[in-house]
Amino acid sequence: MMERCLGIISVGDGENNFGLLCKNRPSYMLPFGGRYRLIDFTISNMVNHGIRTIAVYTGEKIRSTMDHLGEGKPWDLNRRLNGLFIFPPIYDGHSTSPGDLVQFYSTMEFFDQRREEYVFINHPNIIGKVDLDDAFKHFINSGADITLIYKKQEDPSGMLINCDKIHIDKDGELINIGLNLATEREFNHFLGMGFMKKDVFIKIIKESMESGNAGFLKDAMLKSKYKYKINTFEFDGHVETINNLKSFYDANLNLLNREIFNELFYEGGHILTKSKDEPSTFYTESSKVQNSLIANGCIIEGNVENSIIFRGVKIGKGAIVKNSIVMQKSEILDNAIAVNAILDKQASIGKGMRIIGSSVMPYVVEKYQKIGKD
Amino acid sequence: MIENKVVAMLLAGGQGSRLKALTRKVAKPAVPFGGKYRIIDFALSNAANSGISDIGILTQYKPYLLNTHIGIGSSWDFDRNVGGLRILPPFTSEDGGRWYTGTANAIYENIDFIDELNPQYVLILSGDHIYKMNYNDLLDYHKEKKADVTIAVLEVPWGEASRFGIINVDEDIRIVEFEEKPSKPKNNMASMGIYMFNWTELRKYLIKDNKDDQSDHDFGKNILPKMLEDKKKMYAWSFNGYWKDVGTVRSYWEANMDLLDDKNTLNLYDRDWRIYTRNKNLPPQYIQRGAIVNNSMVNEGCYIEGELNNSILFNEIVVEKGAVINNSVILPNCTIKSGAEINNAVVLEKTTVDGDQNIGELDDGNIYLVSNKKIPVE
Repeated sequence: MMERCLGIISVGDGENNFGLLCKNRPSYMLPFGGRYRLIDFTISNMVNHGIRTIAVYTGEKIRSTMDHLGEGKPWDLNRRLNGLFIFPPIYDGHSTSPGDLVQFYSTMEFFDQRREEYVFINHPNIIGKVDLDDAFKHFINSGADITLIYKKQEDPSGMLINCDKIHIDKDGELINIGLNLATEREFNHFLGMGFMKKDVFIKIIKESMESGNAGFLKDAMLKSKYKYKINTFEFDGHVETINNLKSFYDANLNLLNREIFNELFYEGGHILTKSKDEPSTFYTESSKVQNSLIANGCIIEGNVENSIIFRGVKIGKGAIVKNSIVMQKSEILDNAIAVNAILDKQASIGKGMRIIGSSVMPYVVEKYQKIGKD
Repeated sequence: MIENKVVAMLLAGGQGSRLKALTRKVAKPAVPFGGKYRIIDFALSNAANSGISDIGILTQYKPYLLNTHIGIGSSWDFDRNVGGLRILPPFTSEDGGRWYTGTANAIYENIDFIDELNPQYVLILSGDHIYKMNYNDLLDYHKEKKADVTIAVLEVPWGEASRFGIINVDEDIRIVEFEEKPSKPKNNMASMGIYMFNWTELRKYLIKDNKDDQSDHDFGKNILPKMLEDKKKMYAWSFNGYWKDVGTVRSYWEANMDLLDDKNTLNLYDRDWRIYTRNKNLPPQYIQRGAIVNNSMVNEGCYIEGELNNSILFNEIVVEKGAVINNSVILPNCTIKSGAEINNAVVLEKTTVDGDQNIGELDDGNIYLVSNKKIPVE
């Protein structure tokens, strides 16, 4: 049934919340969980639920996206019919407004030509193994024009302040979407995803482009909410909302919780990503690893604790890595120390060097950066 | 036409019966090795890394898993518009159906495949061997010697020379004699079963050999001795890297253990000569608090809470708290329960080792092959 639905990945902005990590990559391309990119979760969840056509609106920093997604082979999206469609931004000279509407509008022919009757829109920075079959059934059976997906969340740490708060009536129908300003103990967090009838999607975009009343699809939808039946679907699984450096760091380390790990990686299908053909990881006699997630291709000679280690990382003798995220092909040489740190790809901490961040503000080592005397 | 074109023919139909339960369901080339590979990955990756783009895989014995593993060869970039990888099982024709009766016969039956590609050279490979080799070095030597066939040879320990096909050469390294498993070998240069032929020559000999009722249709026994008889230009090319033909459970276990030795010369971590395999898309391995992992290789999808010493774990293996694994190879999808102790063993796929099981002693000298059914001693 899900093949009647077209998947749309639309990225917002907010790259400036990630500092050095998003200097050259969009935030949905941030490495996550030892061998993935954030966008892998969104794409894999759609593919695992039978969506066969996915359109990706890339945003401006497109190089790493092109390299990673390619023609979509890891997700079986390299099809003759259907498959992956990548839409880089266009600059047509007359539209200066920010927002995703312009980008959707620029690909109207694509939507007109596709045979799918429904669209599923989602945002790659919000990760959750939503059972799309259930949500889609609810959408179809309720006869709604639009079904939005939310989760009831508490937010004691205030990490979700300024996230979308959805107001619904007792039947679950949409009243409005505003911001979570932490005035209630619990709020309904709109996860930026939902189903729409394709003709409704097209109509909302066209009308809004004509009247010029909105820049974003969400705003356009809210402006015309009285015309449509918009209801909601509650998701009660684990959600990671990755909208700044701290939430990115926490989301990675949360994977060390076995239940979260199992839910995100195993339930409802595996997460698919580009293969790197690394051999198994080697742990030498001198290694000591505790409570960590380690990808393949690593050579571990030192100490690792509460950390996420990506593919092809080397950790030297006597080195200590704690509460850290070490990305692909980085090196931590002998007796070096990294605590509460994020090492971007191919970074290097020289012999005996120390980098120590705080768990509130992890120390970030930029891609290719070398810290040390040599 | 591409000059100096090579077509590789990879013999992957062998049973490997001395590997016992390891080959109960699969051909020897499909036996798992080195934590994430199958034995055939080495020859396939060597061919891919050597820039060979046309390869025929000759299958016969229990090919299902091998076919699934290889697919259209995309893991090794053999999925091409022109040429690429073909799996070549035995087939029927107007002369009736027949199995491949020998290594040479398998190639003979696929002469049309090779003719279609029209190569200058044909490289015969075996899917049973673990090694890294740049076949271009062999080809360069073959061309330099203007040979009709060049055989890759390896120096083996004198004590083992009588297990191999031994090759005797003159001072120009031209081959003067073959000795098949000689009781008193004259030297210790063993054939590796890797041959670079000029296709026009090989083609003639294959056709001639096929008409010979007395022949076993085998390269080592028939084709090569016949060429030598006819004074063809046959040269030996000496290879000095790591090479292993795992014939028995013990040598299979040893070859795996070699990878844990820091002096081992088969470097799987060399990014310039990667070994490729079918990708399983599993999450990273999870090393839990309290786990001990010493001198071991662990693959994706594993969950380790127990103790590992000098061991190789394939994918999706659970080692519970209090389980101890020493000097062992654990194949995919096994569960080692709390309290179990495993020494010097090869644990077959999908085996559950219960907490009350104690396999082997650390230095009892035996190798154990463990499955859900029984524990035979090697």
